[in-house]
Amino acid sequence: MSQIAASTNDDGNLVEIRDVSFQYGTRTILDNLTLGIPRGRVTAIMGGSGCGKTSLLNLIGGRLRPSRGQVLVDGQNVPDLNIRELYQLRKRMGMLFQHGALLTDLSVFENVAFPIREHTRLPEAVLRNLVLMKLQTVGLRGARDLMPWELSGGMARRVALARAIVLEPMMIMYDEPFTGLDPISMGVIAKLIRELNQVLGITSIVVSHDVAEASLISDYAYLLGNGRILGQGTPTELQQSTSPDVRQFMDGLPDGPVPYTYPARNYLEDLFGENGR
Amino acid sequence: MKMFQSLGAAVLSTIERLGSAALFFFDILGNSWALVKRFYLVTQQVYAVGVFTLPIVLVSGLFVGMVLGLQGYNTLVKFGAAQSLGLLVALSLLRELGPVVTALLFAGRAGSALTAEIGLMKATEQLAGMEMMAVNPVMRVIAPRFLAGVISMPLLAAMFSAIGILGGHLVGVGLLGVDSGAFWSQMQNGVDFRDDVMNGVIKSVVFGVVVTWIAVFEGYDAVPNSEGVSRATNHTVVYSSLAVLGLDFIMTALMLGDV
Repeated sequence: MSQIAASTNDDGNLVEIRDVSFQYGTRTILDNLTLGIPRGRVTAIMGGSGCGKTSLLNLIGGRLRPSRGQVLVDGQNVPDLNIRELYQLRKRMGMLFQHGALLTDLSVFENVAFPIREHTRLPEAVLRNLVLMKLQTVGLRGARDLMPWELSGGMARRVALARAIVLEPMMIMYDEPFTGLDPISMGVIAKLIRELNQVLGITSIVVSHDVAEASLISDYAYLLGNGRILGQGTPTELQQSTSPDVRQFMDGLPDGPVPYTYPARNYLEDLFGENGR
Repeated sequence: MKMFQSLGAAVLSTIERLGSAALFFFDILGNSWALVKRFYLVTQQVYAVGVFTLPIVLVSGLFVGMVLGLQGYNTLVKFGAAQSLGLLVALSLLRELGPVVTALLFAGRAGSALTAEIGLMKATEQLAGMEMMAVNPVMRVIAPRFLAGVISMPLLAAMFSAIGILGGHLVGVGLLGVDSGAFWSQMQNGVDFRDDVMNGVIKSVVFGVVVTWIAVFEGYDAVPNSEGVSRATNHTVVYSSLAVLGLDFIMTALMLGDV
């Protein structure tokens, strides 16, 4: 662990979130949030549903604008970029969506080839080899001619992962990569995330509410709640934390700082009060 | 008081949507230039939008022409003018029924399909995925479909009119005994290229733009879930049908005004 911490300091952070606030309508999603994503590491961002994890990814990808604060990616402040600069930056980011977001009218091969065809003028033979190599990485070279609706959820996500890495990005953002998968597919995705990070050195941000899987593959983890950081540290440190917020989430307790009951007026009054008659 | 409030809110939100639809229209036009180099994207969509609408257009055109033949004959024969049946059928189709009925069929068949397709792409994060791959979805997805609609509509209307005239000929000449030579020669003499044919073409181009614009906007603006997509599809058919009929009146008034 000390080795990781040392190299983290050497490389610095690829993504820096500084004092970011974000509102959706009148609801505050992120409240003065500051965090860093170390270069070349797997960072998990955990938290309950609707705590702003996905918004955070969209802020980093420039699909949302913060109402306040800076979102620095590789030294560039994302909200300040114009559309051309933003698209240049996005070519160096990959994103894996929750359900893969494969283009339904294209085959597996064409889906992986899509970013290359859009952004480069590679000869067909080179393109073919490149796509097959990426499909081999995720173990689906044999599925190249299938259409997206013929794939299982886990396979679709692996194809989407091949597509996300085909332009050799510097980082990948995973949005709930484990949701709705069977244990085997989950293991496959976890292994791939780890391998891509180790072999290609891709900085990875894993947004998940799956504590066990996310802890297993990440070097560092943040726990978000109510738009703030409730806890952070290596997965082992989070496991040993005594903070009630962290404990409730890590142990999956039904009641705690996040209450079991939705706010309501007094129960007895509600049942036997004036309106109850 | 509540009523005025909700009325005001409805008006404001309508104006807001019209505004964003207008901005979206210019966004599409701005992104259409990039398709000159990649015209195959448009061709693919012409196939999807136009060719699949062709059967319904041809069948409807045939029947509308046949009905025109029957109705027209029954009226004209009272005045001893049954020889003019060809002219009546051709003018009705070219000036009015061809563009309008084709546009209504187009809205129902192609427009709803476009809205549903784009709405589902949005709901399944395909459009967001493209954005994150640094591909502009308006250029890659919307503009080709829009151009395909604008290209297909006049062609479909022309085919509707052509097969409708054949249908009128089938009934008038084949069943009711109108002279074939008179049928065609009356048509040839009476139909003016600029006033009749071109006016119909202009109408069909305008309808193509409006229907496709409504369809792609509704899809792109849909609430990204199944309920939102079905509502957007519904809106496409209703709004574009109303827009076609309203615009038809306005354009007819303008076109007849300067004859």
